[in-house]
Amino acid sequence: MYSSKVIAGIEIGTSKVVVLLGEIVEGQSLNIIGMGQSSSKGVLKGDIVDFHAASDCAHAAILSAEDQAGVKIDGVYLALSGSDVNGFPSEASVNVTSEDGRVSKEDIEQVSSLAKGRDLPEERVVIHHLRRPYRLDNRSVEKPLNLEGEHLEASYWTVHGNARKIGDAIHIINGFNLHVDDVILSAVAAGSVVASEEEKQNGCLVIDIGRGSTDYAAYQSGRCVVAGSFPLGGDHISNDLSIGLRMRLNQAESLKHRYGSAIVEHKNKGEKVWLNNDFEIGDRPIRLWSIEKIIELRMTEIFEVISKKLGALGRSERLGGGVILCGGGANLRNCEQCAEGVFGAPARVGDNGTMATGELRESQYSVALGLLKYGLQYQSKLGPSENKAPGLLRKLKGLFQ
Amino acid sequence: MSELNEGSSEIKPIRMKVIGVGGAGSNIVDRLMLSNPSDLHLTAINTDQQALSNSPVMDKHCIGKTVTHGLGAGGDADVGREAALADKQLLEEMVKDVDLLFLTAGLGGGTGTGVTPVLADIAAQKGATVIVFVTLPFTIERAARSNAAKVGLDKLREVANAVIPLPNDLLIQESEPDASLLEAFSQADAWVEKAIKSIWSMMNKTGLINLDFSQLQQVFANRSSKTLFGLGEGTGEDATNAAIADLKLCPLLHTPEFSKKADQLLVNLIGGTSLGISETQRIMDSIADAFGKDANVVMGAVIDESMGHRVEICVIGTSGSSDVTIFRGRRRMKKIPSANLVEPDSAEIPEKKSRKSKKTHDKSQKTEQHEFSFSEGEPRGEFENTEGTMFEGQDLDTPTFLRRGVRIPI
Repeated sequence: MYSSKVIAGIEIGTSKVVVLLGEIVEGQSLNIIGMGQSSSKGVLKGDIVDFHAASDCAHAAILSAEDQAGVKIDGVYLALSGSDVNGFPSEASVNVTSEDGRVSKEDIEQVSSLAKGRDLPEERVVIHHLRRPYRLDNRSVEKPLNLEGEHLEASYWTVHGNARKIGDAIHIINGFNLHVDDVILSAVAAGSVVASEEEKQNGCLVIDIGRGSTDYAAYQSGRCVVAGSFPLGGDHISNDLSIGLRMRLNQAESLKHRYGSAIVEHKNKGEKVWLNNDFEIGDRPIRLWSIEKIIELRMTEIFEVISKKLGALGRSERLGGGVILCGGGANLRNCEQCAEGVFGAPARVGDNGTMATGELRESQYSVALGLLKYGLQYQSKLGPSENKAPGLLRKLKGLFQ
Repeated sequence: MSELNEGSSEIKPIRMKVIGVGGAGSNIVDRLMLSNPSDLHLTAINTDQQALSNSPVMDKHCIGKTVTHGLGAGGDADVGREAALADKQLLEEMVKDVDLLFLTAGLGGGTGTGVTPVLADIAAQKGATVIVFVTLPFTIERAARSNAAKVGLDKLREVANAVIPLPNDLLIQESEPDASLLEAFSQADAWVEKAIKSIWSMMNKTGLINLDFSQLQQVFANRSSKTLFGLGEGTGEDATNAAIADLKLCPLLHTPEFSKKADQLLVNLIGGTSLGISETQRIMDSIADAFGKDANVVMGAVIDESMGHRVEICVIGTSGSSDVTIFRGRRRMKKIPSANLVEPDSAEIPEKKSRKSKKTHDKSQKTEQHEFSFSEGEPRGEFENTEGTMFEGQDLDTPTFLRRGVRIPI
């Protein structure tokens, strides 16, 4: 008899809720067995603003996924995004203690716990500690164990979020009698799927442009070193269009999908397209240049914000593996060129070909797939029998009891 | 000048002078030379002898030869400043007996940034009203240039009556997307030229509603930190309304460099012979309301036959000054002559005048003013009720094109 466990990757986004079910067999392999989707309500800029509406949508999606697969979910991996995710670097250093001058296991453990031990502001919880390469006497090393040296430094990028907001999302899942095994930052989840090992090794940047928020994760030497999120996304493009061209939001949304481009393609300002294209009263011609210019400015700004947040990591020479775009925003025409213009590195739209086929290859499912992948790694690390709540959840429990 | 203008110009003409400082400043003066309004005196000064020798302007001076040996300031504002101080007497001579002095310069380099504040200071001490037009460097130019430009701008604001900064980035929006750099620069120069000519015609052309120098002086009486400046142009059947629409879209009105409301406002309208008084007045009222409800508004309308059906509007305003009311009497005289005639020249004038200005605003009611929303704070649309997304001091929920002042044609 073999043991199997059904895990769900759930992303509660501003545009839709995606639920993917995966079956982990013997803690080794993953089969994707079900999917459920529903359009979101009560989520604005990546944050839950209406608990009941968001809860209903999520439950509908979970239910449809369970029905499709005919199984019950054992554990949930939840994607996290939105306004209140921040990060800071935390560093620590120790002197190598052993007599022969070689780094021992204890040294590594001590420096790691020192680096992770930084206090967070109140009401904030750690989501990830992203480890950056160790430094031994000022040279960068991946595995310092048994290497000779005097001074060992560890540095982490600590991603933290507002405990209440993360709690809201967890409560939605708990309300369905499901257990959240872990929460993962959207971009980190997406990055594990869309970026190849080689790209991560050469340094790359994964950007998940959602409807309400944009997440990013930067990789260096094979591992994620910086990640973050900020509440700008596709909704802002529609909003800009609706203000700039004086139209309703749904009209702007439709124009964006039909004619949107992240760079100005039509340099002739005279070229026009019809607003509704239905020949009814109220239809009017709109300058293509204006549409494209508004979008170009906004998209460029989104990439510029990321570039500024990354600092030196966002420079083209650190992005040998290029920029990988995913999420709904990546469907915008010429999105790659716009990103190339800002980062000075090749950009492409992400593809889930390594993990999935058919519909699931589209970049909007990258995050949910990444959650499952993360879940698989986590389960295989723990072994199939073990299943304890991770540190984050214990901390959250403390806050809410 | 016609009899309408008797008060000022017949007795003593206003002495106006334009001085272009440094390379960029001289270029603008060169442009003005080509379309020189007759009684505008043009001067170019530079620290670079060779650049100066190429200028077609008659009156040109190379300054600071003892400092730079006529080889230019090398992009160092301190050198420019030293050069100006070395030739202080020459500069004093230049601005002596000038009533209205325009200075044009490009900030960010050596000569423009260093010399202009010194010259403005000298001129102001000699009693001239100094209006400075400066272009700010493109963002593609080095960051060092834009820092130098900021320092220069602050110095100028301390000494000049009005400083009108024109960010080059904005000005090239007016040109075609694939214009060459040279075309882009000349576009920037053209803006300054338009502005100077507009003020010049205000003073010198026959007025439908006349402006005189003392009014101009009052608008610029106080040194203020921020200036409001906009130009609009319209042609055809409905030229006046087209000009207003154009003014509304003027990129300069949407930049953070400019103040959105003014305490002192100068509005000038230049049009062909078809320009009517009632139309003029209606439009001017609405402009005044849009830019500053409590502003003291000085208005002028000029008829220029060569304009044909074209109409140009120029708005200049300053903020942060005292509350002296200088609402224009002559304008009212056309409407209600009696009110103006019985008004005694006595101590109660200030009170009366302020009441009068209120009345005029009431009269102009809210018929079409709702159209104007330059100053209402920037819209956030769907995100109106959410927490702002602040990044580097900007609320990113506000459309990018609005924050960057990009003009979007509808």
